[in-house]
Amino acid sequence: MEQPVTVAVIEDHPVVTEGVASWIRSDPGQRVRLVQTARDLTGLGTMAWQPTDVVILDLELSGELVTTQIPALVAAGYRVVAFSGHSDPAIVLETLDNGAHAYVSKEEGRDHLVEAVLAAAADRPYVTRSQARAILADQRPARPTLSEQERQALLLWFQGMSKASVGLRMSISENTVRQYISRVRAKYAATGRTAPSKDALLARAIEDGVIKPGEINPYKSLARAAADRPRLGAQDR
Amino acid sequence: MTAVQPTAMMSGRYQRAFTAAVVFLVAGWHLAGAGGQLLQNRSAYSSFAFQCAMWLVMALAITAGSVLVLRGAPGWLPAWAVAVFALAASTAAAAASPAGHMLAVNWAWGSAGWTGVLVLLRRRFAGLACFLAAEALAILGVQVRDGLHRSDLAGFLAVLAWSTIAQMAVAVGVRALDGAAGQAAAAAQSEHAARERATISESIQAARRARWLALQEGAVPLVAELASGTADPGDAQVRIRCAVQAARLRRLLAEGDELPGSLLHELHASADVAERRGVAVEIETAGPLPQMPGQARRVITDAAIAILTAAHSQARITLATVAAGTAVSFVADTGAAVLLPDASEGVAVEQQQDGGMLWAEARWSSQ
Repeated sequence: MEQPVTVAVIEDHPVVTEGVASWIRSDPGQRVRLVQTARDLTGLGTMAWQPTDVVILDLELSGELVTTQIPALVAAGYRVVAFSGHSDPAIVLETLDNGAHAYVSKEEGRDHLVEAVLAAAADRPYVTRSQARAILADQRPARPTLSEQERQALLLWFQGMSKASVGLRMSISENTVRQYISRVRAKYAATGRTAPSKDALLARAIEDGVIKPGEINPYKSLARAAADRPRLGAQDR
Repeated sequence: MTAVQPTAMMSGRYQRAFTAAVVFLVAGWHLAGAGGQLLQNRSAYSSFAFQCAMWLVMALAITAGSVLVLRGAPGWLPAWAVAVFALAASTAAAAASPAGHMLAVNWAWGSAGWTGVLVLLRRRFAGLACFLAAEALAILGVQVRDGLHRSDLAGFLAVLAWSTIAQMAVAVGVRALDGAAGQAAAAAQSEHAARERATISESIQAARRARWLALQEGAVPLVAELASGTADPGDAQVRIRCAVQAARLRRLLAEGDELPGSLLHELHASADVAERRGVAVEIETAGPLPQMPGQARRVITDAAIAILTAAHSQARITLATVAAGTAVSFVADTGAAVLLPDASEGVAVEQQQDGGMLWAEARWSSQ
């Protein structure tokens, strides 16, 4: 039996922390163990924390957005899963860019939080529907280029289909659907600011055969991005 | 509906036409009138070359003045600069004319006066009057210098009278026409506004009539059947018909409020009835949504009503921007395929059943 993944919850509303704890407890495999809770980020450097694999971070603590604190958490060696009521695509994209492994909206928590924590602990991509939505809405010039198939799989997943149904619709296997969606996430790990967590995600994706090193273009000039823009639309057809 | 020009733009167009007419008048006068007189009396001048030079200077002033007024109302400084330039050329030409019969051979007085009219036309009236008076005084000054005779004075007054009357008449006439053009444009504008109001009120009437007809087809017979007892509220089919009609009524009300994001608003309205029935409906959008014509929105909300009515407990509606359009999709636990509207109004509808879950997508293409 594998060791359970250790997790900390940083959340300013005790009732939410309580809810997260109950989801963790009700996991049939008991794959996650809650070792620490905190209401803000102040104790992080000073307190002697138990070894923690993953931090579940509420993006708004005491009325303030803490997306800018993610790089510090990542640099300290934590894997971050953002858990937030803010599903605004701009905030989700910033969260990923700052090095969080995954984003889970409060509505998705029951079904996805424990799975997202487990994926993060293994440096594997976990794309929730709210994350898919933010990626579909991404209009930034330096966004990664998605293939037609990747975009279609992501769109159907966002629309609410199960991955098996997406496979049925696209006449591909469920495993290929997972591969497409994970590849999108890996492409996002390869762009924007650098972070050890993004490197880890990318290395694992290459190791798992989700993406080939040749498919990653970490740098794309603005001019190139602008030239790509009309093509992005064409990919939807 | 034709685009209408604002009142100011229309009356501005008339004013430009009047300005062009004055430009033609002044240029014509200088070329034919003054030029003819200059050539006819060429032997009478002590220096014909100097008179020709002054004539060219005056032509230059008229050209500059024309450019100024055709480009729009000139400022006081350029307008007066041109006028004073013309006055100086006219006075110099008069002073260089032979004493005694200066008036008989003078070509410049008229040209200078008309140049003043050209550039001072739409400025304060007193300005033009001062200019014309200054010019008359300058000519009189030249005559006094040359020794003023009674016959000369009579000639001076005669020329003064006809030229001033003609020049003032043109200035007054153009101002009157400007005023009339403004009124005509305002009248045309208000007539157009009245026509537009009538069109809008007609289209509101038509929309009301369309809604009334829609109720006649669906809700009214159903209510009549319920009232007469031919439809049994205990019958599941009757309850479904009631749910559909209730959702359509909500949509009819929502269609009345033209808001930005109308489609989203109408989908919320369509979901309202299902939510009251206990179906959990989530609606999410990805990306900015383009405006969609009302007929296309109706096809999509018809699909939404059909699916939400069939949903047992949950439904997810998403709107996403795709190539040249919008993809509106529905995932709901309907348990079976649902009869959806046919593709029309640029909206293509597809569905797929997987177990108890239905996925459907209405994709509107703007092309």
